[in-house]
Amino acid sequence: MQKLVVIGAGMASGRMLEHMFEADPQAYEVTLFNAEPRGNYNRIMLSPVLSGEKSYEEIVTHDDAWYADNAVTCRFGERITGIDRDRKVVISEKGETPYDKLVIGTGSAPFIIPCPGHDLPGVVAFRDLEDVDAMKTAAGSDGRAVVIGGGLLGLEAAAALRLQGMEVTVLHLMGHLMERQLDEAAGYLLKKDLEGRGITVLTGASTKAIMGEGRVEKVVLEDGTVIPADIVVMAVGIRPSVALGQAAGLEMGRAIKVDAQMVTSDPDVLAVGECVEFDGNLFGLVAPLYDQARVAAKTLLGEDDVFRMRELSTKLKVTGCDLFSAGDFADGEGREDIVFRDPGRGIYKRLVIEDDVVLGAVFYGDTADSNWYFGLIKDKTDISEMRDTLIFGPAYQGGAQVDPMAAVAALPPDAEICGCNGVCKSTITEAIGAGATDLGSLRATTKASASCGTCTGLVEQLLAVTLGEDFRSKEAGICGCTDLTHEEVRRLIKARELKSQTAVWQELGWKTVDGCHVCRPAINFYLLADWPLEYQDDLQSRFINERKHANIQKDGTFSVMPRMWGGITNPAELRAIADAADKYNVPTVKVTGGQRIDLLGVKSEDLPHIWADLNAAGMVSGHAYSKGLRTVKTCVGTDHCRFGTQDSTGLGIKLEKALWGSWTPHKVKLAVSGCPRNCAEATCKDVGVICVDSGYQIGVAGAAGMDVKETERLADVPTEQEAIDLTIAFVQLYRENAKYLDRPYKWVAKVGLDWVKERVVHDLDNRAALIERFAISQSVYQKDPWAEHAATKTDAYTPLSDFRLEAAE
Amino acid sequence: MDTAVEQATRPFIEVTEIWRPEGDTLVQAGGNYGGLDAFEAISGHTSFKKGEGLPGKAWAEGRPVVLKAFDGSYFKRTEAAKEAGLTAAVAIPVFAGEELKAVLVVLCSDDDIRTGAIELWSEKDGYLMLDDGYYGAAKHFEWVSQHTHFPKGQGLPGGVWASQTPILMRDLGSGYRFIRSESAGKAGLTTGLGLPIARPDGENSVLTLLSARGTPIAHRFEIWDARAAKVGSANSAVMIDGICDREGPLWSEDNPRRISAWQGPIGQVLGSGLPVAQKSAPGLPAGYSDVVGLPIYRGSAIAHIVAWYS
Repeated sequence: MQKLVVIGAGMASGRMLEHMFEADPQAYEVTLFNAEPRGNYNRIMLSPVLSGEKSYEEIVTHDDAWYADNAVTCRFGERITGIDRDRKVVISEKGETPYDKLVIGTGSAPFIIPCPGHDLPGVVAFRDLEDVDAMKTAAGSDGRAVVIGGGLLGLEAAAALRLQGMEVTVLHLMGHLMERQLDEAAGYLLKKDLEGRGITVLTGASTKAIMGEGRVEKVVLEDGTVIPADIVVMAVGIRPSVALGQAAGLEMGRAIKVDAQMVTSDPDVLAVGECVEFDGNLFGLVAPLYDQARVAAKTLLGEDDVFRMRELSTKLKVTGCDLFSAGDFADGEGREDIVFRDPGRGIYKRLVIEDDVVLGAVFYGDTADSNWYFGLIKDKTDISEMRDTLIFGPAYQGGAQVDPMAAVAALPPDAEICGCNGVCKSTITEAIGAGATDLGSLRATTKASASCGTCTGLVEQLLAVTLGEDFRSKEAGICGCTDLTHEEVRRLIKARELKSQTAVWQELGWKTVDGCHVCRPAINFYLLADWPLEYQDDLQSRFINERKHANIQKDGTFSVMPRMWGGITNPAELRAIADAADKYNVPTVKVTGGQRIDLLGVKSEDLPHIWADLNAAGMVSGHAYSKGLRTVKTCVGTDHCRFGTQDSTGLGIKLEKALWGSWTPHKVKLAVSGCPRNCAEATCKDVGVICVDSGYQIGVAGAAGMDVKETERLADVPTEQEAIDLTIAFVQLYRENAKYLDRPYKWVAKVGLDWVKERVVHDLDNRAALIERFAISQSVYQKDPWAEHAATKTDAYTPLSDFRLEAAE
Repeated sequence: MDTAVEQATRPFIEVTEIWRPEGDTLVQAGGNYGGLDAFEAISGHTSFKKGEGLPGKAWAEGRPVVLKAFDGSYFKRTEAAKEAGLTAAVAIPVFAGEELKAVLVVLCSDDDIRTGAIELWSEKDGYLMLDDGYYGAAKHFEWVSQHTHFPKGQGLPGGVWASQTPILMRDLGSGYRFIRSESAGKAGLTTGLGLPIARPDGENSVLTLLSARGTPIAHRFEIWDARAAKVGSANSAVMIDGICDREGPLWSEDNPRRISAWQGPIGQVLGSGLPVAQKSAPGLPAGYSDVVGLPIYRGSAIAHIVAWYS
């Protein structure tokens, strides 16, 4: 009988032996070496063993009896130190063992980040039973665990350690969890789920060092954060264990190279599992390993078979956590998404389609039909016929089109419509019968759709079904991505404490993956206005002018306008502006209506340099491009004018210095006139102050653009400080409540001046709170973008293509 | 895992009965009385209004109720229970949303040998605290439980609470550091089944059944997932976990067992939406004659089914 030696009793080699014994039990006399002191067990089930939800005995694949029945000579715990291919022997601690055929299944080893302290006692990997035992011992002391790596393995370890009673923190370098298997939306839901289990998840967290006296005590991040730890689990990835193959002189790539029959460069040596490289690919999931095992068994038996790469899918073994991902779901030219969200049940489903074929799928919270979708991906099925109902799964295919109205009409009376407030269909229809014939009155009487708002569409359909033609739908949603209006979204962002775009997309049931060019700038503004400290401003969600910090002109060049506080300048600034205009060949220098000097026709690549020059002369960006404070126009006031009643220039400068840098729903222009003659034209501004002998008249909600409108009097106040306070409070109220791209005059027309006065003028506590929140926001956003961009983002202004082709927004 | 099944002198749970609402009354709708015929006969002639007796109290309170002594209590069948040697009971109401589907009552018999635990944990101030529990002879473990609380995600109760999924933990006391493992080990408690309890008031409760090797609650436990999010619109369920003293592990990652409505006792639970408690039931796994199947609702739909066999 021929001699077969197998190095490594892992899942791939174990499955290979099963196939081989099944086909021909007498083909080989088998000797099985394993460095671990045990045989083959189901390694991917180690996490439930760690959590206590399975016992080790349950995950043993081959027990002693199995090896005995198949006459396998087991040499467990005996490490192979070398392979002599010329003499066809393997060398171990106890001597040499000859082979006719050799199979290498040495698997992989965990990758350990080589940061300081990585070798301290208490730093463990998550690879084998010894690691599990080490973690269990640590968990027994009710300690604190830090898991480095938010991939599949790391998260399973984190959930298991939590179940075992530990305080657990997950550190993940990337922006969202399991970024190789999940998109951002699914990653958000997973993070939320884990946080619901009491696990702390830090994304974008880079480990700087592991520290401790004699053993692990804490983990220090690059940003200085210190996390106490009794145990650190490294789960950042694996690398193939190939030292034996390499030393034996087998052909290597990143691992041991094999052909489609799993044969290495030596025809008598095969390799399977995580230690092989096939066609440039490495392997970590079990499905392809089992394919390799089947092929290797056939090869050993002299039969033909071919290993082929195939699509892979991912699941996570955390109880109660349903996720599935398969295929390719990266964004790309010509790719389209079909998205389904059910925020109430925490469901997110996304299909990526190209040329009528499903390329990828990501599901969270509902994985019922994942196998069907996986089949569509693997088989490259043409889905054009079922595209409209594809996202609802196989049960909806082949039948008639589902009419949503009919579906609502058919719902039983006790069907729950509003999950948040537990309102069923009959309650709503009764309320409609009692006279609640629009959404507002239904919300008031039944609370239906009054919380998360995602059932608004259903409630409206019920209104339409019940009232027939009498019902007129409410205002349309922000865009095609949602049925919710701007006002509803603003309310929900506050009420439900949504602090990221991903949270908004999921919790408010966005119909697209991550919004569109219409909703993204609005949501970005709402988030940064409501959560200045928590939310990270997203440049990609801004119009080009705000991304470039300059107004794009019709010829593709940009304008540059330094800030002149209250319209006051001096010879040094004027010289600097003139020098910059000369140096960068600025074709047009214009004095603007807002009392500033505009340099028009600057090339994109010159922007950082001209900004740097103007910065050097002490000037900052005038934000002439932004949805934010533009200018504060002033007259000369008491300093020079014989009619002036107050220091209008001084007040204008103070207001501009307080308000600059703040982002607002639309641009905000101010003016301060020193007397009722109103040389600064303050009565057509968003906020206009007219100085009078008795103090200051604050007007708001003026306009002088497409619409022309005189300001309305907010209040008359005796002191300059009150004038400043009222202005800031008004701007903050506008920031917190207005619809994106509504100028103050449109917003005030909607809410009413009395509503504004109540909050800004009469309620002093509220005024103070508004001012305080504005100050918090300014602590983040009052910064000169020129300085920042000139210093760090010069490359972004070097044109990759001709900007003249890009339409001005 | 082909080990011999240890035979307890008497089981930890002696009687399991099911009460169903008919109008405003609970009537007996089957059960396994373990040969206590007299008690069974009296129970068949008893009914409970809401708030009346143990099943009626569980209905009225909308959560499980533990009763550790019958004398002087609201328990209606005290004399018959005494004669049958029964000393304690736990009533578990099964609610689908606000609708009571049934009340499952288990009755136990105190002695110095029989160990096990049936515990009710309820949320208070962000933690699960022990509401009440029946422990048999595991007195020290009872004391530990009374002085323990579980944050979300921690231990069997915390894990069930966070995942809203029944969890079957193995070997509570032998090395898996179940949060009360030391005490559990002393009490001989080995396996723990945790169930999320659907309460009509929306509050969170978790029921745990902790089983000891010598006097096991059952020799076989199963957890089935029946959520549409897992099995689709088909009225079926897949086994997500299970362990059997005879067959070993019952779960399979690759080919989980699947049943349809009305197929076997689990299928009956799925089809009827009601718990089952059967003695000498046909079609049970080899070596088993008794089964209890309990539906776990989420809202108005069955999310999971747990079953134990002896």
